[in-house]
Amino acid sequence: MANVLRHLPELEGMELGYIQGLMKGMDEDQASLFAQVYRARRKDAQMILILTLLGFFGFAGLHRFILGQVGLGILYILTLGLCFIGTIVDLVNYKSLAYEYNIKVAHETINMLNASYPGENDNPSTTTV
Amino acid sequence: MKLITNWVSRMPLELIFWIGSLLAIFLLDPHSSTHFSLCPLSQLGFDWCPGCGLGRAMSLLAKGEFQASWALHPLAGLAYVVIIARIVQLIKNLKTTHNYG
Repeated sequence: MANVLRHLPELEGMELGYIQGLMKGMDEDQASLFAQVYRARRKDAQMILILTLLGFFGFAGLHRFILGQVGLGILYILTLGLCFIGTIVDLVNYKSLAYEYNIKVAHETINMLNASYPGENDNPSTTTV
Repeated sequence: MKLITNWVSRMPLELIFWIGSLLAIFLLDPHSSTHFSLCPLSQLGFDWCPGCGLGRAMSLLAKGEFQASWALHPLAGLAYVVIIARIVQLIKNLKTTHNYG
């Protein structure tokens, strides 16, 4: 039973609760490996907020590209963030945009780690050079 | 107060926004000469913006007037595809990501 705050102290709110749920079954080694990989891949909500704010200076939709929603990114950048309305909506819910993306990344990370270390009792630090 | 903020944070705000905007576009009359606009740029008195006419173009497209729609804004089709794909994604998320663990 790994504690999320020991491995990923920067998490907060809904994401903290969700990742704690995912980490419940891991031992300390698995948890620290998961934390390293997840930290490298997750997007900080503050970065989404800042990229959304750039929408007011003509670079709308950068946050949508970063979150992997290329279609919406193109639509935003070609219409000035749907005439600023889309940008304003995303300013209000930037946290849930980041949350949605991070949850997806967390599941991808777990799948990836399971694929590379199929044995449950294998110690990751000793199986690789 | 905490109850209210909890409830608001649970609301799928983006989903409501996209579905609401599609509904508003269907209810819009694209042929009226003076149109009411929520656009902050036009409220500030600017005449031109790259998104101008997108809503009316989408409304025309929904009514089957393809040429008029293209003349107003060529991106209406792309906007439909992208927004509907996003709505589907958000509805899927409602089922998967909101139960913890």
